[in-house]
Amino acid sequence: MSSELAIAQHIKYIQALGKQKDDLIYHKTAHLRMNAVYWGLTATCILGRPDALDREEMIAYVMSCWDDEAGGFGAHTGHDAHIHSTLSAIQIMVMQDALDRIDIERVTQFILSLQQPSGVFAGDAFGEVDTRFLYIAVNALALLGRLGDLDQEKTVEYVRQCRNYDGGFGRIVGSESHAGQVFVCTAALAILDRLDVIDEPTLAWWLAERQLPNGGLNGRPQKLEDVCYSFWALSALSVLRKLHWIDAAALTSFILSAQDMEVGGIADRPGNMADIFHTHFGIAGLSLVGYPGLVDLDPVFCMPASVIEKKGLRKGWEALPRQKV
Amino acid sequence: MHGVRRSRESREAREARRQREQEELNTYLSLQEDILSRKKDKDWSKDAFDLTTRMLNKNPEFYTVWNYRRLILLNNIFRNSSPHEKIDILANELVMTISALKVHPKVYWIWNHRRWCLENIPEGGDDDDMQGWRKTCWKRELYLVEQMLDADPRNFHAWDYRRYVLSSMPIQRPETAELAYTTKKIESDFSNFSAWHQRTKVLPRLWESGKLDKAQSLQQEFVLVQNAMWADPDDQSVWLYHRWLIGSGDDYDSLTREIKGIHELLEEQPDSKCMFSPILATLNLTNACVSGCMETLVHYKRLLIRSHTSRLGPEGTQILREECLGLLKQLEELDPLRRQRYRDLGALRRRHCQ
Repeated sequence: MSSELAIAQHIKYIQALGKQKDDLIYHKTAHLRMNAVYWGLTATCILGRPDALDREEMIAYVMSCWDDEAGGFGAHTGHDAHIHSTLSAIQIMVMQDALDRIDIERVTQFILSLQQPSGVFAGDAFGEVDTRFLYIAVNALALLGRLGDLDQEKTVEYVRQCRNYDGGFGRIVGSESHAGQVFVCTAALAILDRLDVIDEPTLAWWLAERQLPNGGLNGRPQKLEDVCYSFWALSALSVLRKLHWIDAAALTSFILSAQDMEVGGIADRPGNMADIFHTHFGIAGLSLVGYPGLVDLDPVFCMPASVIEKKGLRKGWEALPRQKV
Repeated sequence: MHGVRRSRESREAREARRQREQEELNTYLSLQEDILSRKKDKDWSKDAFDLTTRMLNKNPEFYTVWNYRRLILLNNIFRNSSPHEKIDILANELVMTISALKVHPKVYWIWNHRRWCLENIPEGGDDDDMQGWRKTCWKRELYLVEQMLDADPRNFHAWDYRRYVLSSMPIQRPETAELAYTTKKIESDFSNFSAWHQRTKVLPRLWESGKLDKAQSLQQEFVLVQNAMWADPDDQSVWLYHRWLIGSGDDYDSLTREIKGIHELLEEQPDSKCMFSPILATLNLTNACVSGCMETLVHYKRLLIRSHTSRLGPEGTQILREECLGLLKQLEELDPLRRQRYRDLGALRRRHCQ
């Protein structure tokens, strides 16, 4: 059992990810590449190694994914623009202080064009809708300084309709509550300063009930724990200032036990294959519960807190105090 | 990546795998290059369409290829097809996505492509019914989603899709049929929270439309959920649903009756002694169940205080407050993961008591 965060191995693991171009799986996961770059960069920043990945190479890669026809970013070079990869691209450029390379006007129009009459956002022109995409739009527009262009009332109204009696939120109107969707809805409301839409005591209770006897969190009642929920649920708890309603030490042990101590990386649960998604969200969760030596993470934007503060976008969330090394 | 066991590949094993995969990798990369360059050139040919089939069989998550496939259909194939041919093409698409969903039941893009196909079903039918094809397709869709939910009763994609199908069917099914479906799912597994959730969406519509008498139906729901509670008091799904039935606790009689019921359940538990004993030597499982009961009791008693103070009188209210404090104190021990929450709630209660 691992009791410490294997920072050096995780950095090595993240650095190695871009060098596996002779593996079939590398190419079959190209539809997640832009997200993976964002996960990798955020994780290295939170681990205190923002320089671990090559800045110029990363910026050039992001720009190579620009879809000029749509006015957004695709998941990989030659892929169609999608709202999800567009947010990752913007987040990367903000963290690399290179937002000026983006055509902000066009990307703003791309995002705004995806809002539906109901207030929810589609992922792209083919119309899949989800509160994830609504959060993505709100987050991206905030980072671009263009929230003023959004019909905020309509946006909030859709989130309100997704609220369930258990305090949680679902993917679309009628869906059951899910910790991932609770994160996106809570964070979107936080950015829009509309936490009044949330039934705070009920939601905080529902979130606290996600912790299982082994310390890990699940995403829905009667489901298994998974490292990624460490972030989804903790982000929402931070926004509600109720992070102390779960047992941080037990969660920390659970996340650490899912590390691959040899090769680096964190898996969904102990003994499984690590991947960059769980590595990033595991580290993000550890930062929020005050794990010693880590950099503060902003749970609303899921980016380094200092970056968000610099942009004047910090909301009133509360993480646990950073423990001494 | 979810649920894949870690395995350590030796350098030799990795090399051997790479050799084996080399040919597959080359095919994949040249197919990818071919498709992306044809897409760039706006090649809407049948050849390009067949290439997308090949690629999506290899990688159903390649959303750009799904997009390209739809553009080929819209810009060429549909334009040159009669409605009969169009329905055949869409039927093929639906067959293709069924096989993909069987292997990848949680891939958003596949569900999305199905939705797009259904929304493109033309008017018309084999007899004179203009809605004929649509009726057949949507009916088959409901059957498909039931199969998906038989395979994984908690797949939220499938549940969302089910709600979408139900609201899109040209001939609407009565809501009572959906209630019966959730009953069937719950009876086969009380832990199916997704089915309980669906009930919370269906019942209010039946009450509002007057198809079910609310008061009578609520009592039936209490009976159903109590059976589940006694069968498996560890199950959070059941407690959540119970909480939904209670709502804001305006109905004094139901609220007090249910509080009494939970007390009885607690006393029936083999380890109920722990409720009155500070020494807790019970298993986690039992603790979870006892703390579930107690947490619910605190919530319901607080609802009583909030909504029925005049009925309780000052003395009754005071007794309830003290009971809540006692329960919260025990919960701190029983459910240490959430200890701080019980402390916070207790502090809040104590302020009210003063």
